[in-house]
Amino acid sequence: MKTRPLAGSVALAAAVALTATACGGSGDPAASGGPEKVTVWIMKDSVTDAFLDRFRTSFEAEHEDIDLDIQIQEWDGIGEKVTAALASKDAPDVIEVGNTQIAQYAASGGVRDLSDRTAELNGADWLPGLAEPGKVDGKQYGIPWYAANRVVIYHKDLFARAGVTTPPRTQAEWLTVTARLNQGRTQGIYLPGQNWYTLSGFVWEEGGDLAVKEGSTWKGALDTAQARAGMDFYRQLQALGKGPKDSDEAKPPQAEVFAKGEVAQIIAVPGGAKIVEEINPALKGKLGFFPIPGKTAGKPGAVFTGGSDLIVPEASTHPEAAYEVVKALAGEKWQTDMARTMSYVPNRTSLARVIQDDAGTAAMAAGAAQGRATPNSPQWAAVEATNPIKQYMTAVLTGTDPAQAAAAASQSITKTLGS
Amino acid sequence: MTPRVLRRLPLNTAAALVFVLAVFPVYWMVLTAFRPTPDIQSETPRFLPVSVTLEHFRNAVAADGFWTFWRNSLLVTAGCVVLALVVALAAAFAVARMNWRGRRGFILMVFIAQVAPWEALLIPMYVIARDADLLDRLATLSLIYFMVTLPFTIVTLRSFLAAVPAELEEAAQVDGCTRTAAFRRVTLPLLAPGLLATSLFGFITAWNEFAFANMLIIKNQDDRTLPVWLSSFSNVFGTDWGATMAASTLFALPVLVLFLVLQGRVAAGMTGGAVKG
Amino acid sequence: MSGPGVGLPDRSHRAALWPYLLVAPTVLGGVLLLGYPFVRNLLISFQQYGLGELIRGDAAFVGFRNYRTVLADPEFWEVVRRTFWWTLVNVVLIMVIGTLVALMMQRLARRMRILVTTGLVLAWASPVIATTTVFQWLFASRLGVVNWVLVRLGFESFEGYSWLADGPAAFTVLVLLVVWQSVPFAAITLHSALLTVPAELYESARLDGAGGWRIFRSVTLPLLRPIFGLVLCLEVIWVFRCFAQIWAVTKGGPGEATTTLPVYAYRVAQSLHRYDLGAAVSTLTVLLLVAVLIAYFRQMLRQEADR
Repeated sequence: MKTRPLAGSVALAAAVALTATACGGSGDPAASGGPEKVTVWIMKDSVTDAFLDRFRTSFEAEHEDIDLDIQIQEWDGIGEKVTAALASKDAPDVIEVGNTQIAQYAASGGVRDLSDRTAELNGADWLPGLAEPGKVDGKQYGIPWYAANRVVIYHKDLFARAGVTTPPRTQAEWLTVTARLNQGRTQGIYLPGQNWYTLSGFVWEEGGDLAVKEGSTWKGALDTAQARAGMDFYRQLQALGKGPKDSDEAKPPQAEVFAKGEVAQIIAVPGGAKIVEEINPALKGKLGFFPIPGKTAGKPGAVFTGGSDLIVPEASTHPEAAYEVVKALAGEKWQTDMARTMSYVPNRTSLARVIQDDAGTAAMAAGAAQGRATPNSPQWAAVEATNPIKQYMTAVLTGTDPAQAAAAASQSITKTLGS
Repeated sequence: MTPRVLRRLPLNTAAALVFVLAVFPVYWMVLTAFRPTPDIQSETPRFLPVSVTLEHFRNAVAADGFWTFWRNSLLVTAGCVVLALVVALAAAFAVARMNWRGRRGFILMVFIAQVAPWEALLIPMYVIARDADLLDRLATLSLIYFMVTLPFTIVTLRSFLAAVPAELEEAAQVDGCTRTAAFRRVTLPLLAPGLLATSLFGFITAWNEFAFANMLIIKNQDDRTLPVWLSSFSNVFGTDWGATMAASTLFALPVLVLFLVLQGRVAAGMTGGAVKG
Repeated sequence: MSGPGVGLPDRSHRAALWPYLLVAPTVLGGVLLLGYPFVRNLLISFQQYGLGELIRGDAAFVGFRNYRTVLADPEFWEVVRRTFWWTLVNVVLIMVIGTLVALMMQRLARRMRILVTTGLVLAWASPVIATTTVFQWLFASRLGVVNWVLVRLGFESFEGYSWLADGPAAFTVLVLLVVWQSVPFAAITLHSALLTVPAELYESARLDGAGGWRIFRSVTLPLLRPIFGLVLCLEVIWVFRCFAQIWAVTKGGPGEATTTLPVYAYRVAQSLHRYDLGAAVSTLTVLLLVAVLIAYFRQMLRQEADR
C-alpha cells in the first residue's frame, strides 16, 4: 500500500484532477462509455425500501452520469466490515455510520475530510449530537444524516383502564402511574435490564455522565453519586414489569412483547410503534407517545441522541459523485421525506418544523432538546463492543452491591478509553 | 421376555436420555421455525407442535438473494472440500505408505498446523488479500477454508489409509498393476467411507464460517455467503426468532441430510483406521 | 509395516521422489496460506499497528513493546489461567461422557444404537450459528425452557434466573454448549474404535473373572490408547481455540468471566483496533498451546519412529 500516503496527501488536488484519470471520467461519462457506479452502504432498517427506491429514481434522473448501487448492511460484524472497507483499495463510496461509532473512523485517516463543504451543507445549523462525533481536530469527516431519540410508547386502552388520563410529567409521577398500571396480567412497563441508552438518559438527568474527560484522559464515571442515582431510578422503574434483567431490548424483541397487548409502556424510538402495529394490527390507533419524564415538570428528561452520519472513504474511487449523494441525502428535500417516512429528527434544527404534526415525532422533538451524546472518544466504540454498562446494569438489578458494581464498570470504561 | 426388558431398562433409559439431550436443541430449532410468531414468545413452553405455519420459511426464502447466498456457500464449500480431499489424499498416502526423509517433521508440522489461531490471522490475511487484489472473491474464501480444514483432513485420511492393508496394493502391483492403478482399483474403494467422513467435517467447517466471509467480501454484496446473510434477521428492534430458526433450519438442512443418509457409512468409515494411527 | 517401495528395488530411484511430489501441494498451501499469514502476524506483533496503520499501510517497528505490554498486564495472566481451567473442564467432561456414551452404544441393541447415533449426528452436524442461537434462547431468563423446567422440578430460585449475568453460570452455559457440540465426535469415533476390539479378548477376560472396570482398564483402554490420544489431542486443540461460541453467547462477559485467550485476542484486535497487541496475544497463545501438547507430540513422534 505504498501509494496510499501519496494519495492522501494530494487528496484535495485529486478531487479536481482525478476526474479524467483514475476514476474513469466522472466528469465526462461519454468518453468512458457509461455512468459511474456509486456504491452506498445503508444500515439495515435505517430507512424503508420505499424511501430508498424514491431516492434512487429521483437521484438518477437528476444525475444521468451516476448509477446508484445501494447496499443494505447488517449490524452483526459491521465494525470489522467498515474497517475492511476503509482499508481496501476499492471501497464503497458512501457509508452510513452510527454517531457513537464514527469518531474512531474519523480519527483513522481512512475517511475523506469534507470540512470545505460544510458551508454548502448548512453545517452551522446541524444537530450537535451528530456533527460533533464526526469532527476530529476541527475537521469535519462525518456529515449528519438523521437523529432519533427514545420516547415512551404507551397503550392507550391500558392507561384508560387504570384511570390514567394524562401522561406523567415527572419521574416521581411516572413511578406512581407505572405502579398503578402494573396490575394483574398487565405489565406497567416492559423495560429489559440492559437498555443502556435509557440508563444514560437517567444518569444525565441526575447530572452525572458515563465518562468524563480529565485533561486529556477519559475516566469512567458510573461510580459517581449522580450516576448511581440514575441507576437507582432505573432499578425502581424496571421492577414495575417483567422485563428480563439480563437482556436488552432486542432479546426478545420488545416490539413483539409489547404487541401482545399486555404491556402498558415501552421505551423506544417512535418508529418502533410502526413495527408494533405491523405485528399486531389490532393496536393501530391505540398507541400514544410522551417524552421520557425528567425530574421536574415542564422539562423532559435528558435522552441519548442516536443517529447516523454519512462518510466518504478515502479509498472511494468516485469521491465527487459520492459527495453528490451525500449532498442530496443531507439536503432539505430528502431530509423532509425521511423525517416524515421514518419519524426521524432531521439533521438540521431549522427543519424540525416538518415533523411537528406527528404525535411520535413531536414527543421525540420535545425530548430532543435535552439530547446528549456518548463520550466523544475514538475509543468509545470499543466500550460499546463489550459493553461493561450492560453488565453493570444486570449486576445491580440482580442484587450485586451497586457501589462495587459501579466501581468495576467505571474502571473497565477507564481502561478501554485509555488504551 | 420381561426379565430381559427389565435388565436392559437402565441401559435403554440412558440411551433415551442421551438421545433426547442430543436432539432437543435441534428439535427446538425446527419446532420454532414452524411455529406462529405469537406462540414463540409464550409464557409456558409447549414441547409439541400445536399449530404449524410455513410463514417463517416463506420469509426466509423470500428474503433478498437467499438462493444466491445459498449457491455461494455451496460453491465455496464444495471448492474447499474437493481441494482439501485431493491434496490431503496425496499427502496422507505419502505419510501412510512411504518412508522418506522428513516424514516425521512433516507429520509434526501437520499437527502443529491444527493449532493455527485463525481468528487472529484475519488481519494479516486481509492485508495479504488486499495487496494481492484478492478481496471480494469467493475463490479466496475457498482457499482459506481449504487451509483451515487441510491438517485435520490429512490426519484422518492417513488413519483411514493405514487401515487398508498395504499388502492388498502390493498384491495388485505384483499382478502387474502400476502403483497408481493399484491405488485406484484396490485402495480407493475401501477408502470411500473415510473420504466421505472427512469431507463432511470439512463441509461443516466451511459451511459455518463467518469472520473471514464477513471481512473479505466487502463490496460485492452478491458474493456473500449464508452465515453472513443469516445475521440479517437481527435488526434495530431485535431478532425475528421464527425466521432466524427457519433460516437456520434451511442452513442446517444439507449437512443434516447428508449426515443422516451417510451415517452408517460414516460410522463404518471412522472404524478401525484411526486405531492403528 | 514397511513402505512397499522397499520390496521393489528397481523402482527405488523414482520412488524416492514420489513422496515429495505427493506432499508438495500440502507444503505449498501451508507455506502460502498459513505460514506467510502467520509470519505477517508475527511481524505485526513487533510493530505499532492500529486502525490508522491498517488503512495507510505503514507501520513502525517497536521491538518487544507489545509483548511487554501484554505480559505486564495482570488481566492477561488471569485470562491464561481461565483458558486452562476452561480447557480442563471441557476436555475432561467431553472425554468422560464421550467414552461412557461409546461404551453404552456398544451394548445397545441395533435399533436403539441407530437412534442414539442419529441423535449424536444431528447435534454434531448442526451449524454452530444455529445451535448457539438456540442455546442462548434455551437459557433465556424469561421464557427460557431451562428455567421453566428447573422451576417445575422444584428449584424455585430459578424463576427468572439470569444465566448470563453471573460469571460462573455463564461459564456453565458455555461449557454445556461446547460439551454438547463436542461429545458426538468423541463418542462416535471412540465407538467405532471399540468395534475393532476383537470380541474374544472380552470373552477371555470375562472367563478370567475380570469385572467391568477391570476389563475396561486392562483390555479396552490399552487397545484404544492411540485413538484415545488422538481424540484427546484434537479436543484440547478445539476447546482451547474455541471462539465462535463464546463470542456469540457472552462476548467474554459478564465482566471477564468467560474471556479465554482467543476471545481476548479478538477483542483486543477488533474492538480496540490494537491489531499489534492482538497479534502478540495470538503468538503467545500458539506457544502456550504447543507447550500443552508437547507431551503428545513427543509421544506421537516416538510412535512414528517405531513403525
